[in-house]
Amino acid sequence: MRGPLLFSDIDTPGLASLEGYRRGGGYATLAAVVGKKPADECIEIVKQSGLRGRGGAGFPTGLKWSFVPKNSPRARYIVCNADESEPGTFKDRELMEKNPHLLIEGMVLAGYAIGSNTGYIYLRGEFEYIQRILDRAIDETRAAGLSGANVAGSGFRFDLHTHLGAGAYICGEETALLSSLEGFRGQPRLKPPFPAVEGLYACPTLVNNVETLMNVPHILNHGAAWFRQWGTEKSPGTKILSVSGPVKRPGNYEVPLGMPLSQLIDDLCGGMRDGMKVKAVIPGGSSVPLLPASLLDTGLDFESMNAAGTFLGSGGVIVIDEGTCMVDALWNITRFYEHESCGKCTPCREGTYWMSEVLRRLEHGEGRADDLDLLADLADNILGKSFCALGDAAAMPVQGALLHFRDEFEHHVTHRSCLVNRRRDGLSVVRPCEQAHA
Amino acid sequence: MSATVKVTVDGRTIEVPAGTLITDAAREAEVHVPIFCAHSKLPPLGACRICVVEVGMPKLGPGRLPVTGADGAPEIAWLPKVQTGCTTTVADGMHVRTDSAVAVKARKGVMEFLLVNHPLDCPVCDEGGECQLQDLAFAFGADFSRMADAKRTFVSEDLGPIVKKEANRCIVCMRCVRYCDEMMGDDALTAHQRGVLTEISSFNRQPLECEQCGNCIEVCPVGALTALPYRFKARPWDLRQHITVCPYCPAGCSVRLGVRGMEILRARGTEFRGVNQEYLCVRGRFGYEFVSSPDRLSSPLLRLGGSLAPAGFDEAVTYAAARLRDIAAAHGPQAIAFLGGDKLNLEEQYLFQKLARGVLGTSNVDARTRATARLPGDAILRATGAGRPSLTLDQLSRAGEALVLGDDLQGEAPYVQSLLILGQHQNGLHLTVAHPRRVKLARSKFGGEWLALKPGSELTLVNALTAASLEAGVPAGVPAEVGAALASLASALGSPEAGARETGISADDLRRAAKRLCAADQKAIVFGRAYTEHPQAAALVQAIENLGWASGALTAKRASVMFVGPQHDSQGALDMGLTPDRLPGYVDPADAAARRPFEQQWGAALDLSPGLSAPEILEAAAEGRVKALWIVADEWVKSAPDRARIERALERCELVIVNDLFLTATAKRAHVVFAAASFAEKEGVAVNCERRLQRSARAISPRRGARPDGEIFQAVARGLGATWSYRTPEDVFREIARLTPGYQGLSWAQLLPLGPQWTSPAPLAGPRIAPAIAPAAAEAGDGLWMLSGGTLFLQGSLSYRGAQLPKLAGEARARLHPDQAQRLGIGDGDTVEIAGSGGSVTLAATLDDAVPAGSVFVPYAFRECDLNRLGAPAGAGLRVRVRKTAAALVGA
Ligand SMILES: Cc1cc2nc3c(=O)[nH]c(=O)nc-3n(C[C@H](O)[C@H](O)[C@H](O)COP(=O)(O)O)c2cc1C
Ligand code: SF4
Ligand code: SF4
Ligand code: SF4
Ligand code: FES
Repeated sequence: MRGPLLFSDIDTPGLASLEGYRRGGGYATLAAVVGKKPADECIEIVKQSGLRGRGGAGFPTGLKWSFVPKNSPRARYIVCNADESEPGTFKDRELMEKNPHLLIEGMVLAGYAIGSNTGYIYLRGEFEYIQRILDRAIDETRAAGLSGANVAGSGFRFDLHTHLGAGAYICGEETALLSSLEGFRGQPRLKPPFPAVEGLYACPTLVNNVETLMNVPHILNHGAAWFRQWGTEKSPGTKILSVSGPVKRPGNYEVPLGMPLSQLIDDLCGGMRDGMKVKAVIPGGSSVPLLPASLLDTGLDFESMNAAGTFLGSGGVIVIDEGTCMVDALWNITRFYEHESCGKCTPCREGTYWMSEVLRRLEHGEGRADDLDLLADLADNILGKSFCALGDAAAMPVQGALLHFRDEFEHHVTHRSCLVNRRRDGLSVVRPCEQAHA
Repeated sequence: MSATVKVTVDGRTIEVPAGTLITDAAREAEVHVPIFCAHSKLPPLGACRICVVEVGMPKLGPGRLPVTGADGAPEIAWLPKVQTGCTTTVADGMHVRTDSAVAVKARKGVMEFLLVNHPLDCPVCDEGGECQLQDLAFAFGADFSRMADAKRTFVSEDLGPIVKKEANRCIVCMRCVRYCDEMMGDDALTAHQRGVLTEISSFNRQPLECEQCGNCIEVCPVGALTALPYRFKARPWDLRQHITVCPYCPAGCSVRLGVRGMEILRARGTEFRGVNQEYLCVRGRFGYEFVSSPDRLSSPLLRLGGSLAPAGFDEAVTYAAARLRDIAAAHGPQAIAFLGGDKLNLEEQYLFQKLARGVLGTSNVDARTRATARLPGDAILRATGAGRPSLTLDQLSRAGEALVLGDDLQGEAPYVQSLLILGQHQNGLHLTVAHPRRVKLARSKFGGEWLALKPGSELTLVNALTAASLEAGVPAGVPAEVGAALASLASALGSPEAGARETGISADDLRRAAKRLCAADQKAIVFGRAYTEHPQAAALVQAIENLGWASGALTAKRASVMFVGPQHDSQGALDMGLTPDRLPGYVDPADAAARRPFEQQWGAALDLSPGLSAPEILEAAAEGRVKALWIVADEWVKSAPDRARIERALERCELVIVNDLFLTATAKRAHVVFAAASFAEKEGVAVNCERRLQRSARAISPRRGARPDGEIFQAVARGLGATWSYRTPEDVFREIARLTPGYQGLSWAQLLPLGPQWTSPAPLAGPRIAPAIAPAAAEAGDGLWMLSGGTLFLQGSLSYRGAQLPKLAGEARARLHPDQAQRLGIGDGDTVEIAGSGGSVTLAATLDDAVPAGSVFVPYAFRECDLNRLGAPAGAGLRVRVRKTAAALVGA
């Protein structure tokens, strides 16, 4: 058993088929709930469970469900956010690959709870093979009467569709996702109105992450109190963490929320590889500020991470070892945001470009004395001024790195060489033009 | 909705309606909050972030009471993040700061970011000097640059003949893309790539497929989009700006002409004034070029010894006056007729008919020269509510349901079309478009209903809509006599089923259309020349009045029926009595009391019998009963309904006087030609389709040798012994305002910048509800229906005198449905001959599935293709034969 809840049976052979899923009790909750339990009660149970969104923001799921207007004359939609584009995050992929039916059951139940008859699963473009897995599973459920015109004989209709994105990180942001799903440019929209009120095709729409929705069948099956046996008061349940970096056993781990970060790294992942030492950890995908090694005891839950000045985010735990140059790492991250900035708003579009230009110079030993203040100021001019959280996500790593590792940046400027990675001495030499001179 | 809220901006507390955006509230408080991506015609976007401000609400303590600080002032809880003013609506008690350290730093930060990749090419940028980025950099930017790295660069592109794109200057505000979509309905622009590589272009980087209006250039806050025709011609500070009214359609857009010396170098919208603000269509923006055409007449011409020769102004006036006097003396004043004038300013229109009625004593006056049948002078007045407060253009775009009858607004009034598109996109407006062709507004992307009636069944359609409207009974709130009349009308009209057979539109669709119209709270019926120039015009306009009352578009208090006339001042022409049976203000000459002020002012006893209408004048002149014609600003030879007849008429007349800018085909047949000043060379008022009066400025002095038409009329009047002594158009306007019902109380000063809509305290005509019937339009055999109508790039004989519009319009084409073409063995580009009863025209064919099978469509604006050669009448009802005469050149 790799984990208490979603991972309890994840490696069971044949789980991806309807038959295999049913063998482990799959769709029993659906049969027991749809048409039998009042929809409001379902929402109430999810509220009581304290489940929080697993897509990054940690918004209380039950509360979000209750925002969907009950008596809107318009259609209501459920959209599963399976874009999983946050660097360092790879949990939804394993979940959907191995247990597609749990997601389907979760979506049908969510649809039942908010009175929606149509669901979309929005997958990142690279997940084409997962789309095939999901489509096959959806076909199976339709044939078995578990989705489609008459779910489990209840008279409730729920149709499910999958949709592939075209390769933009921003399409993981819920409103950009909806634009993309409608066939427009994937760019975020103004909130309010929030999707729950005016989402897909201007209809009330519930957007939830894969992992969030996969918790739903368990919660409706066993109840809120049962769910709360894991996790903390404010962050109940478990979370799947995707650990990357030079640990002995990188990969996905399902842990009760609140587990100290050090326990995850040292015990579950077996510590660092090749005698390396942790320098910093980005705990929630590249968009959140990093934690220096001194804060490794922070609990892996929403509130502890906030207290430590960062976020649990999507649960993409990126471990950085002492041999990694922070200038290089930050340049890498910033280039990602520059490349993925959708271009809608000025601070993010221009700021990420400028920051990565400055970082490129720093990395190549061409930095200037005032570049560090410039970087800090650019990050500040983006943070809180951009249209969506991507801009913030680009600014926060810069601020974090400068706060905790300023000496490394200064060394790049003053010595034109790397403090950390001696192998990269004399950085400017790598410039092609100077190579020609040498 | 009338609730207001108090908001404090930089310490100034003001009261604004709830729902006001912070940027608008700030303007109200006279605090400058810059904007780039926001635009009054576009929904909030919040993209550029230049409008960031600090926002806070009073802190609430126990009992939700405001917490006050040591100084007694309420403490404000400022939001942790700055907010965009263009997307945030104010709340009661809200505080906004634009001058705090946080707000200033945020704004400066955005400003700096905007310049990161912006080139430093202001000296060679057309926008320089009127660039919002430049202005803001000056106002809020830093005086040094921290950006020492390479800028991202793009290659510039020509997006067709009008739009030049310099993408390096683009700040990705998306105004152009959104305007093109929301307002023009064209979606021609898009953003390629993303992030810092975002680049505005057309799809596939091909020339823009659009109306070529150049509004994208207008709304671009920087120099990323500039106009190729204006490129590098001037620096904006070298230009004098004069605001005139566009001469190309009755929307009445304000056009800001940029003039250097005596040359007009460009035309722009006006941003904060005018019915149009920034909007101009392609004609308004590029159609001014005729003003500086070298072909302009530079002196009057007189026909002496057979040919026209230049003459002095006084000589021409003396000659004209003498000849008019002689003919009036010999044959009576009724042998003289005055034609045209719907392109004149209001004051000139007034003088034109005053000259006819008051000085010469003829009531043969008609501006509606393209009409094919007599239409009572007050018919349109009645159909549009008899002077009751009427729908504004702004309200049109906010209507729930708009019924567009008969015209292709893309050609007739592009701005009206744009307002309907805007309404459809933003205000939930639903369109019903009755037109045989699938015109732009009838395209499915606008989500409306296309009533594709069979050509010739227009009257049946309007009657059927009225019948369907009345099935639900008489609308509440109509005057008692109207209610009774409608009830008896209902029994006289057939059922929608009967209408369905003739129009080809199902009774269900007719009923649904009527129901939508009746049910809508705010509604509009729009009609224009397609019906007023129709052989059944009188019945059609009567039918529209019936439908207006039956659907609730006309009520005792308000009128929601809009007449979109053929020319920019068609409404003024009706108001000023350029009709044979009505004096200014629609006064019936037979009404002694109403007539008296005019007789007193003019010092003349008026001819009480109605005069001849334009088609009757044509006939009378061809038969020799009318002997003198004065044709003003009208290429009548080409636009009169029957070519053979107009040629004969002009030949037979003893005297033809023409006022024009050019030696037109009509002028060539005249005895006296007066060189007239253009719209840009004179001051005066025009009345647009919402009956709004607007004063147009004189941008340049008249071309040497040319005079404003008003001056010409005054000179001839004086030559005829009248004692006119108007020094300015204002003098004339004062007389109009004193005499004219509906105009009383209006003052010259009030017409600038944007005058009011004229309304009459009491309706100028009682409602008339009557069965609208007409003899069937002559079924002329079994050929194809000849469909014609306005077109976007050309309007009237002036439009083809410039360089841009004719180039954009290309050559005239006969448009045929592909199935129809196939049946006739015609392929795309083949040359075809269209033959009617009176003659034929030859032109190239284009396949177009927007044209119904069984018909052929040729717009009437092309100079090389005179549709009136086909025979009478040129409006609906004409059947023609189409045959191929030459195959298309391969590869052409
Ligand atoms: C730039 C950006 C990228 C995001 N990418 C993802 C993503 O890949 N997957 C995801 O589930 N949520 C992503 N989110 C969060 C979503 O906007 C949204 O909060 C989430 O899908 C809601 O689902 P939940 O409440 O179940 O977490 C992203 C947000 C931002 C700002
Ligand atoms: S912050 Fe702005 S540019 Fe960046 S992704 Fe969001 S909307 Fe696009
Ligand atoms: S071209 Fe002009 S209007 Fe269009 S996005 Fe760029 S700056 Fe804005
Ligand atoms: S819409 Fe009409 S008034 Fe406006 S610019 Fe075009 S032609 Fe002129
Ligand atoms: S004007 Fe407000 S964000 Fe652009």
